Amino acid sequence: MTTKTAAKIDNTESWEPRIVAFCCNWCSYAGADLAGTSRIQYPPNARILRVNCTGRISLEFILAALEMGADGVLVSGCHPGDCHYTSGNLKLRARWTIMKKAIEQAGVDPRRVRLQWASASEAQIFADGVRTLVKQVKELGPIMEEWK
Amino acid sequence: MTEPTSIAMAQGSSCWGCFQSLIDIHLNLATVLPLIDIKYWQCVADFKLKDLEGYPDKSITVGLYEGMARTEEDIHLLKLMREKCKILISFGSCSCFGGIPGLANFSTLEECLEVKFRNNKTVKDGEVPTENLPTIAPVVVPNSTIVDFEIFLPGCPPTSKLILTALTALLEGKPIELPPHTVCHYCDREKKETPIEKILRPYEGIADPDRCLLEQGYICVGSATWGLCEGQCVNHGATCRGCFGPPPPITNDQGAAAISMFGSYAPLESEVLAETVLDPLGCFWRFTYPTSHLGAIRIKREEAKTK
Repeated sequence: MTTKTAAKIDNTESWEPRIVAFCCNWCSYAGADLAGTSRIQYPPNARILRVNCTGRISLEFILAALEMGADGVLVSGCHPGDCHYTSGNLKLRARWTIMKKAIEQAGVDPRRVRLQWASASEAQIFADGVRTLVKQVKELGPIMEEWK
Repeated sequence: MTEPTSIAMAQGSSCWGCFQSLIDIHLNLATVLPLIDIKYWQCVADFKLKDLEGYPDKSITVGLYEGMARTEEDIHLLKLMREKCKILISFGSCSCFGGIPGLANFSTLEECLEVKFRNNKTVKDGEVPTENLPTIAPVVVPNSTIVDFEIFLPGCPPTSKLILTALTALLEGKPIELPPHTVCHYCDREKKETPIEKILRPYEGIADPDRCLLEQGYICVGSATWGLCEGQCVNHGATCRGCFGPPPPITNDQGAAAISMFGSYAPLESEVLAETVLDPLGCFWRFTYPTSHLGAIRIKREEAKTK
């Protein structure tokens, strides 16, 4: 989605936050799948992108998403110690800490981003995470509102 | 002998370091100078701004623009250079990415004026000067959003060797071919792929001269930086601060890449990292803040305020 088309959607009355959710293949993507098959209700705002491991996520993905007008970014991976590739999620966690500080310095509210750990069986935790982030972002309003 | 190439060199808000580096090609100046015909160069040749304004459009072959465009005068000069020059070179990191003057975007214009003029520690009853001075733009934007450039030549400053290579190729009409490697390619230090145990500030401990600085715990952004410097700092014991910006394509977000690399090497507890990496924005985006994603968000927000 380009910034231009995104801006159009923001102008409509009933604004709903757009959340980009990065889920790892082995835990959270399966968890999200389970949430669906178990018919757990959660907000439809999250656009889920599958990555093989959260360690594969470069901060460029998250920052570019915010710049292009995503109202929030969710990253969901395996619990620390449970990574399919041993330590990918620990690498993401280290990046995350630094990134969170940096976006705060740049004046973006850190409540727009959320990191959570949800295993393949924790469908409820995944759904709750999405709900929490959507609630936080709704309180903050559209990210593009600050730019107009 | 062919006709000398006409050249104009202009400076915005910067330190003159890039042109100093150009002069530092020393004896090679003897070969370069007869090939060029200087049409404008504020500090060196006696041309005034009205001379530059008087030239016909696109009459100058090569133009170099150093520095940011922070004041209205800078912006005028930059646009003027674009009008008069056929090939406009973005010269140095300030011109390419925002550089050190781009760090001004950390604060609002009012905060900058407060520290610099009104509440300056070395001045009594300071006030913001208003007479005979150009207006300051509310926010630093990358030069490339004001005009288009043909060539980007980053560096703080670009090394004399790089300038000589680029200028000679340009004057001979050949394409400028620059290696795309990062600083790590030129670094002689050994990498053992071991995780960082503890993050060190540059003054802490004594670094092993033969091992990768990042692995020893010093924050080095060489892996995310274009190595046109040929690893000068890292091979002399100092960490890379990223002054050449991201490797090609240079529109990448250098800080994001540097943190991603750093995170891969330092899978430490969040609390430890939060306490030891104190200023991530200034540390990883030191030279590229205005062209980065976070910088773009900041610029959009500051510009929205003035609308």
